Amino acid sequence: MVTQTHPAASSALSPESRQKVKELRDLFADAPETARTALEDVIGEAASNESGQDESGTPVVSAGRIGLRQGKVSELTFIAPLSPDGAKRLRAALNLLHGNAHAADRVGTVHDMRFAFLENDTKLLFATAYDGDWDTYINDFATKIPAYMDLLFSAIADWPGIGDPSVKDVIAKYQIQVEAWYVANPDLTVVETRRLERVGQALEEFLDKVGQ
Amino acid sequence: MTVTVELDDIQAAVLRYRPEPYYGTHILGHFDDAHAGRELLARLAPHIRSAAEWWQAGDTWTSVALSYTGLTALGVPQDSLRSFPDSFRQGMAARAEQLSDYGANDPQHWEPPFGSGDIHIGVSIFSSSPDKWRAALAAARHQFGELPGVTVLMAQDFGAQPDDRNSFGYKDLIGQPAIEGSGADPLPGQGRPIKAGEFILGYPGEAGVRYPMPYPEVLGRNGTFAGIRKYQSRVGAFNRFLGENAQTLQERELLAAKLVGRWRSGAPLTLAPEKDDPALGADPQRNNDFTYASDPHGREVPFGAHMRRMNPRDTNLAVLTDVNLHRIIRRGTTYGAPYDPDATSAQDDEIPRGILFIFLAARAMETIEFLQREWINDGNFTSLDDERDPLVGLQPKEQATFTIPKEPVRRRIHGIETFNVLRGGEYLFMPSLPALRWLAELGR
Repeated sequence: MVTQTHPAASSALSPESRQKVKELRDLFADAPETARTALEDVIGEAASNESGQDESGTPVVSAGRIGLRQGKVSELTFIAPLSPDGAKRLRAALNLLHGNAHAADRVGTVHDMRFAFLENDTKLLFATAYDGDWDTYINDFATKIPAYMDLLFSAIADWPGIGDPSVKDVIAKYQIQVEAWYVANPDLTVVETRRLERVGQALEEFLDKVGQ
Repeated sequence: MTVTVELDDIQAAVLRYRPEPYYGTHILGHFDDAHAGRELLARLAPHIRSAAEWWQAGDTWTSVALSYTGLTALGVPQDSLRSFPDSFRQGMAARAEQLSDYGANDPQHWEPPFGSGDIHIGVSIFSSSPDKWRAALAAARHQFGELPGVTVLMAQDFGAQPDDRNSFGYKDLIGQPAIEGSGADPLPGQGRPIKAGEFILGYPGEAGVRYPMPYPEVLGRNGTFAGIRKYQSRVGAFNRFLGENAQTLQERELLAAKLVGRWRSGAPLTLAPEKDDPALGADPQRNNDFTYASDPHGREVPFGAHMRRMNPRDTNLAVLTDVNLHRIIRRGTTYGAPYDPDATSAQDDEIPRGILFIFLAARAMETIEFLQREWINDGNFTSLDDERDPLVGLQPKEQATFTIPKEPVRRRIHGIETFNVLRGGEYLFMPSLPALRWLAELGR
């Protein structure tokens, strides 16, 4: 298929965007046809989104020392080497906590957490989305939920303990920069989501009564 | 209560409460050369009292604190300078992002000498009597004035307000943390004493470990970090807000109490929910003796009230927080014209008056940056979304609110303005008495 200029892609684009589109087409020149067709289908829309903003206008920015942030939500992703049998212990600990994430509920800033073992159980991939800056409450974790923190992360080969002042450096050392990240509701924190749920329920009850 | 901290080595200002009534002066100075700076410290050192028997304070005391540029100007060795925390080395103006100091509070609007890096030393005199204050001030001025290599950048008198009220007419600085091992029994309602390491360097903190401290030991131990923030109080805007959102004098005073959590007399809404009780406000044995167990829904003290934000006590917070990790020793001082209940104009907002807020903690920079971002300029921690502290928050131009929980439905006031505008600030290190002598003898 001969590459055609998508009508939407050409008219209103700045010279910078036109250059980007050209670079993309060059990169995809030798790609399978499926990829080239897909590129042409999305190129106009993607290229006109020049500032990296989504439709609600929330840019993706750096979350301070490490990770990305979008609106009020940040992400942290790291890959850390595990101590011998670390994966075995962590797997058992995660099974123990499965369905009972009371400590995570109490934290009130964690949207999700993922744990995956890589390379024959020698490394841990940890990925999370949370509200605010990653280290704001780390001292609070050290005094309020030290056992949970150390149970989850002491499988990491050089984990110093959540109370050790070097713990921030250890986490930062293994952090990996993610290439792209999508957040549906960048201005909704975990706390605000819970509040809106309560408000929504109260409103439905009110409407039920009014509508009787 | 037993003493386990080395009171004889700690500056009196760390532990002594502000006297009643209070008079004093903050002097900010610059060292033109290292020798003059050391000479000034050598002369000041004998006049700096220790914290021994701090609870019997009624006299006059002077404190000394140094900025990072001040320590550098004194010729402190490089390995020692590098041992100070990054935030302290950068200075408060450079930490504007971490402090949420933007818009009206942006360092580019600060008054000189703040934000210039020129502030090397801060000397504060506190006294309970005007005569003793003037004598101490004359002595300090003499020490500064005699030294050609030292320049006074700012001298700001404070205190001497009618009934010790602040620039909005409140009795303030009632709640202070109790410090373990400092020798005095906690006041009723102060809560359990907090580990000394949270406030003084060289001791275990709440997590059981010592926070990193400046090197060498003689320089760091028994010192602490401090910060100064100068606020201009916009009394016209404050009075307009009260007037526009209350019908009667009684309603106005209740709204003023809801903003802070205390009536202007100092009486807390938890103990005096309906009307003011000046005798309660004046009594240090009673005016802080409460928890929020009886007010879980914020119907007496709103969750967003200044007092409840700055010390949530046993409030069930939406975000997991150890409230004992975010306490500061507060030494706020009121300067300028007294509160004027009839001031309502924009010109009244600019009459010089406000608060020179001093705070001390072993991690003062980290703590104030936490407070500014989490508890002052946000409301998420207590399910208030973006709502900010009504007294010291930087209010956005649109959609700024203050929420008062009520039955059957809450009252949300829109259009609250920034009442205290930041006009300057700096991070300082308050050395121990041995460290002061060590600094004075550098290069000898």
